[in-house]
Parts: sequence; C-alpha cells; structure tokens
Amino acid sequence: MLGRIYAFALNTFREAIRKRFLIAIAILVVGTNMFAAVLGQMSLHEEARVARDVGLWSISFFGSMTAIILGVLLLYSEIQKRTIHTMLSKPVERYEFVLGKYLGMAFTLGLLVAVFTLAMASILFLRELEITDTMFKAVVLSYIEVMVVAAIAILFSSFSSPVLSGVLTGSLWFIGHRTPELVRIIDSAELGLFRVVARGTLFVVPDLHAFAISGSTVDGEHVSVHSSFVGWDYVMTAVGHGLFYIGLFLVLAIAIFSRRDFS
Amino acid sequence: MSAQDNRAETSDPADNRAETSDPADAPDTLASGPAPDQAVIWLDDLAKTYRAPFTGKRIEALRGISFAVGHGEVFGFLGPNGAGKTTSIRILMGLISATRGRAAIFGQPVPSRRARQRLGFLPEAPYFYEYLTATEMLDLTGRLFGMNRQACRKRAGELLERVGLEHARNIPLKRYSKGMLQRAGIAQALISDPDLVVLDEPLSGLDPAGRRDVLDIIRSLRDEDKTVFFSSHILTDVEHVSDRVAILASGRIRAIGALSELLDDRAQGVEVRLRLPDRAEPAEFGGSAIGAVEDNGEVVATLAPDDILEDYLARALEAGARVVSVIPRRQTLEELFIRCTRSDAEPGHGEVEVR
Repeated sequence: MLGRIYAFALNTFREAIRKRFLIAIAILVVGTNMFAAVLGQMSLHEEARVARDVGLWSISFFGSMTAIILGVLLLYSEIQKRTIHTMLSKPVERYEFVLGKYLGMAFTLGLLVAVFTLAMASILFLRELEITDTMFKAVVLSYIEVMVVAAIAILFSSFSSPVLSGVLTGSLWFIGHRTPELVRIIDSAELGLFRVVARGTLFVVPDLHAFAISGSTVDGEHVSVHSSFVGWDYVMTAVGHGLFYIGLFLVLAIAIFSRRDFS
Repeated sequence: MSAQDNRAETSDPADNRAETSDPADAPDTLASGPAPDQAVIWLDDLAKTYRAPFTGKRIEALRGISFAVGHGEVFGFLGPNGAGKTTSIRILMGLISATRGRAAIFGQPVPSRRARQRLGFLPEAPYFYEYLTATEMLDLTGRLFGMNRQACRKRAGELLERVGLEHARNIPLKRYSKGMLQRAGIAQALISDPDLVVLDEPLSGLDPAGRRDVLDIIRSLRDEDKTVFFSSHILTDVEHVSDRVAILASGRIRAIGALSELLDDRAQGVEVRLRLPDRAEPAEFGGSAIGAVEDNGEVVATLAPDDILEDYLARALEAGARVVSVIPRRQTLEELFIRCTRSDAEPGHGEVEVR
C-alpha cells in the first residue's frame, strides 16, 4: 500500500514541479520580500518588523493560492485527460490514489514553502536583521495552513470543476481567516439568526486565523498569533487542529471519489 | 453522473454492485464459454444504465450480457460505436459500476484490487502523463504492481524493445505520435507480465505496419499462453487473430462463439475473374452469373452455389475468354457483423444462435 501511495506521490510531485507557474510564484515571492526590504528602509525603526511581516504573509498567502491552484486541478485534470483510466485500472485502491496525490502536493508545497522561507531569511540576513528560531514556528504554522487549504481544494476537486472548486476553496479560505469576527457575532446577543449561522460556520470551517502570523512580535521566545504571545504548545495545538481538518477533508474526498464513475 | 445515481436504477439493492456477488454462486452454465470457476473473465447479466444530464432520460448502455472467456483464448469483442464494448471493459476494470449483474476476473469479484492484480489494460485512445518519458511511465506502472525499481527498469527495457520504442525511451510522451503512444500503452499493459491482457481498440489509429506489429504482439501473447481480450472495429484483423468473438449491438450480445462455428464455412458461391473477348457478356455462359467490366478489362462473375462451375468455365473458354482466377466465396466476419448489427433497426432480426 505504501509503495503505491509513494508512486502516486512521486508522480504528482514530478508533474507539479514541471509546471511553469510555480517558478512564476517563486519569483513573485522573492520580489515581494525584496520590496518588503525597501519598504522597511522607508519606515521609522520598523525595518525588521516590515520585512518579517511581509515575508511571513507572502508564505501564507502565496502558499495558499498555490495550494488552491494545484489542488483544484489535481483530480479534475486526471479525469479530464483520462489518465485516471490507466491508473485506476491497476491493482490500486482509490484511496491510495487520493492519498498519493495529496502527499505529492504536500511535497511540492513543502518545497515551495522552503524556497519562500529561504527568500525571506536571505533578505533578513543581507539586511543584517535578526533571524530567530521562533520565525520558523511561524513557518510551520503557515505550512499547516497551506496543507489545510490543499485538503479543502482536493475535496472540492473530487466532485466539481476547477472553477467551482477554486471559488468554493477560496471562499472557505476567506471565511476561515474571519473566525474572530464570527466569534464576535456569536457573542452578540442581538443577532439571533446570525449567531446560529456563525456557530454553524465555525463548526464546519477550519480556523485558519489560528495560523495567521504577525511577524512584528517575533521576539526570540514566542510567535505572535491572535495578538497574544504563544509558544510551542500553541503551535502544537494549532497543528493538531489543522491535521484534524486535513484528515476530515481527505476522508470526505476519498468517500466521494470512491463512488464516482469514470466514463 | 455519479455511480450512486446509476445504482439507484435497480430495484434490488443487493444487485447494485458487481462486487457483492460471489462468482462461485453462479449457475454452472452461461451463454458461452468455460464454467465460472475456470473462466478468466466471467460476466453474468451485466447491465449499465446511465441517466442523461438535464433531461434525466435513461440510457441503457448494457442490457444484461453474459459470457465467459477461458484461459489462453484470444477473444475479440466487436460491435459498432455505442454498442457497449467500452462500457463493459470499464466495468471490468473497476472504472464504472454495473447497475445490475455480476462479473469476475480470475474468480475475483469485480470491482476489486485483487481482480486487477493479474491483468494488464490498454484503454481506448490511451492518455498518459505527457511530461513523463516512456521509461518513467513504465516505472510508475510497475511500482503500482509492487515491482521494485530494478525489476521495472529491466522489464521496461525488454518491453520498449518489443514494441519498437527503445530509441524513444527517454523522450517525453508529449512528443510521441499516436502510433508511438499506442505502442507505449501496450508496453505499460505488459509491464507486470500479466496473465490476462485487455486491449480496448488497440488497432485504432495505427498505420498498416503498426497494425501488423500489434497483431504480432497479440499472437505472441497467445504463444505465451496468455489470455487476450480485445475490442476492435477492424474486422479482418480480428478474424486473423481471434479464437472466439462476441458481437455486441445496442447493449446486447448478438453472436458469440468460435469463428468456425459462427461463420458458415460452406461456399456461398464462386467468384470467377475473366478476361473476355470483345462484346461478350459473362451472363452468356449460363448460370446466374452477374458481372461488370472493370477498368483493366476484366470481369468478375459471381456464381450461385447451385451453378455448375465446370459448365460455366467450359462455355467461357469456348467463347474465347481467359480465366484469371476462380475463388470460392465464404461468409466473412464482416457479413456476420453487418447482419448482427443491422438488427438494431429491426428488432428480432439478425440474432445469431449463441453457442
């Protein structure tokens, strides 16, 4: 089983890294970090904060966008190009195929996040700004966020077109970053119906805000999340939250994909 | 449309999926072929109904087909476009679910991973990952069969040589011609040295040399005691390599059996090719001959089985004609195919006794 999943993962990785748009995104991230360095120089004693803020934001944002683009095409292109006929006619289970595709995407996104992190760290190093290990906590959280987004994308890709999957995944990504607003709605006694809707949404949508990083408060000990200082225990909790949703979305994707006809 | 929708067509939920049935419970005799426990491929009352999008109209792609393919057979699966050939094959490959009926491969219920363990499959108009080279594609396929890297490489080398692609082994598949892709597809179907090879339209899109090569591969697989199940439109080629054939039309089996059983081997008449003296007509020599003068000045006269060939030839020779050739006419697979498939328009006609 592991060998077959690995074979699919390796093939997905091979396919992804040969896509030209990934090079374009990597260049975009490097450019954004360089722009952040210039922007920091114009700020008043906030050079480090701006560079970290923009660097971490670019990892989270461009990583998530890449996950959406790769994820919505992952299963759809296999079905559209009929390569799935060749693959699923082999002695494989459909869940192995979905897991292999997801793991291949995880390798690809991991490589991208590493490149993004390297770009950010390089800029900080060249500007002689402090690079702390806690910054890498932020990177870990960003990577988990990207993987959650990828799992959402693969779920929608298991039954809908890339455009619809992209819209749905993008919507969940947007809502997932608005969980503090949803909590405020729930806390408000005057908005009864909205409270119910907000409570339901909070239950279904992963809390992506939990992975949102503010580089301004990286202080050598903690990573700032939700405006409060947190340590590894918070990071681990957030990772657990992310892994739960990754598992949930993959199980749903497998359940749908396993029942599909491939005419 | 989802498989779930399709399965909703049946009244009995127990019949919904082919995998729920055990082939061992099947009746001992099917319409044709070996007993279920000895069959390589076994289908029992297999049906598939689609529901058209928007209109919701039911489309019966397969209406309950039953047959079995035995070990070592080369089995030709024939039918016009839309007859249900590819639907049947996709059910066997586990790509779509049956609405009704049961199927098994090597005694393993379909769909299941075990049923696909000993088979190699070439899909119709195969599509592969175009960014891969043939070697990489074979490596991927081999690993799905549990082969290690070394075994994949060794086998890939042998197969690429066998299908004539050794010169293109490191070229991305996107640069392959259609014929080369077909050969690469056959190579991936054979990577695990399967006991059963299922080929969906393996001859389509190939030039004559390519067709000959594919037919040679099918023959060599038979020599290796493999079972080959293939669909095709090219009837003359099917006739040359098949031990048995099934003709499918409108989702039903119209004829099935060995070619020697299906085709009437009695002469249907005799075709006489003559070079005539000026102003002579082939009908002048008696019999029920009819003919037309061809561009090269020769005439092809067709004699009915009742006509006496010796008398006809004697009269033609007396009249100064020169006999170019005398060929007995026998029923061809094409004639049988047309007869079976014409019944689409005329229900009740054209069915051939199933053996």
